[in-house]
Amino acid sequence: MSGSGQRLNVVPTITTMGVVKARLVGATKGHQLLKKKSDALTMQFRQILKKIVQAKEEMGEIMKASAFALTEAKYTAGDNIKYIVFENVDTAIIKVRARQENVAGVKLPKFEHFSEAGETKNDLTGLARGGQQIQLCKSAFVKAVEILVELASLQTSFLTLDEAIKTTNRRVNALENVVKPRLENTIQYIKGELDELEREEFFRLKKVQAYKKKEVEKQIAKNKLLLEEESRKDAGHKVDQDGIIGEQEDEDILF
Amino acid sequence: MYGFEALNFNVDGGYLEAIVRGYKAGLLTTADYNNLCQCEHLDDIKMHLGASDYAPYLANEPSPLHTSAIVEKCTQKLVDDYNHMLTQATEPLSTFLEYITYGHMIDNVVLIVTGSLHERDVHELLEKCHPLGMFDSIATLAVAQNMRELYRLVLVDTPLAPYFSECITSEDLDEMNIEVMRNTLYKAYLEDFYRFCKKLGGATSTIMCDLLAFEADRRAINITINSIGTELTRDDRKKLYSNFGILYPYGHDELSVCEDFDQVRGAMEKYPAYQGIFAKLSFGESQMLDKAFYEEEVKRLTLTFEQQFHYAVFFAYMRLGEQEVRNLMWISECVAQQQKSRIHDGVVMIF
Repeated sequence: MSGSGQRLNVVPTITTMGVVKARLVGATKGHQLLKKKSDALTMQFRQILKKIVQAKEEMGEIMKASAFALTEAKYTAGDNIKYIVFENVDTAIIKVRARQENVAGVKLPKFEHFSEAGETKNDLTGLARGGQQIQLCKSAFVKAVEILVELASLQTSFLTLDEAIKTTNRRVNALENVVKPRLENTIQYIKGELDELEREEFFRLKKVQAYKKKEVEKQIAKNKLLLEEESRKDAGHKVDQDGIIGEQEDEDILF
Repeated sequence: MYGFEALNFNVDGGYLEAIVRGYKAGLLTTADYNNLCQCEHLDDIKMHLGASDYAPYLANEPSPLHTSAIVEKCTQKLVDDYNHMLTQATEPLSTFLEYITYGHMIDNVVLIVTGSLHERDVHELLEKCHPLGMFDSIATLAVAQNMRELYRLVLVDTPLAPYFSECITSEDLDEMNIEVMRNTLYKAYLEDFYRFCKKLGGATSTIMCDLLAFEADRRAINITINSIGTELTRDDRKKLYSNFGILYPYGHDELSVCEDFDQVRGAMEKYPAYQGIFAKLSFGESQMLDKAFYEEEVKRLTLTFEQQFHYAVFFAYMRLGEQEVRNLMWISECVAQQQKSRIHDGVVMIF
């Protein structure tokens, strides 16, 4: 798996940053939603598991009871009763229908049994002996078939849900550990590049300002020199006329 | 002449009567059943049965033993005993012995016919037939496409023909519900057997007619109870009752109007023999009725051995053999399915 140091290869501009930020927002939202879906599915999964355990225990008991009911029927109606019933069978009376149920977004198959009405040909089996035991045996096995259908339904939904949970969890983990870090790293990188560009600009600006200032100072120094030279020339003339003891009128000092 | 059988019976039947009493001595006793009920696995059962007459049949079974294998082998032993007796018998004992198996023959014929109607494979069907009810032309039954052909082609040659022709015209054969047909055939068979025994006379006729009357009454009661709530009409129900027995004719009238189990119980109050059976069951419960009937039957069958010089001992031995196989099946299934608590619900001790 790629580590979190990866990032997308993009041009580090503000627009791409906007785009990547939008994708990050989308990824975060998706991550949250998928996590919720995964939790809901896991809850359903646990419920179905509990039901399966119950149904299996029940089935164990019911199958035992029906096998014994068959023994009782064989005892009273004779050993050949099995073959007599088999040979009399035409089409199935109990049939199974499959349909789809939507649970937390996952389509689960569900089986239900229904009996074809009207086929009561076998009511008179064992008329002379054992008829009652045969009917009891029949109802015991009908119950067994019902619970088997339910168990089959539960087990297929169990498997389907398992698949769905695995897929969802895979997606959640992918978002969490790959997509989001990648996007975040990209954003960091873009930010970093933009900061650096700004700093460069700032530095350039500063440098230009400093140069300009230096130019200005140089100009001022030059002007000052020129002024001093001129003032010295004027001051020299004045000294020659009055003599050394000449009283100079000092200017008034104004504060 | 009743009372003078001792004079001539042993001429024809003495050897076979001795044989059948020997077989009877090999039936499992209460102590054996108690031992079997204590078993934890099917292998223990096989070990216990190794000390009985079933030893040579079960000895070669491979170790993961199945309950159906036990039942099959024990039935095989019964069939072998029967065939041994049949080959040694002379008239009229041989006819008598054949009569005993017609019930199974009817079951086999009905099985093959329904199987062919639903287009199943012939050989599979033949394997599923009861061994006691096999006869030579049974495989050709599967060739018939409908009932009329069936009757014409095959049944005319078999011993079951008179039952078909007596009770059903050829139109009915197509539409009639399989179970109703089976029971009509069985009714005809019982009546025929009854007439035959009466013709034999002597101790045989007294004892056999008694046993057959019990069988007919028991079937009547079972048919009544099992047809409550089904589409079988009262008249059809009445047609299935045999025309002999303690319940004939007034009991049958009462039974045919019964609509639930307690009414049946009420109708049976007048007949002390059956009233005793119904008294064993508490109100509303009808599951144990079959077992109660089996117990009563076994009691009557064992009584036949108290008397000598009659054929009813053969009938009794076959029936007791079947009951024993049933007991063994029940015990093996209870052991195999870990339902030891119910094991005494099904075992009917013979001796």
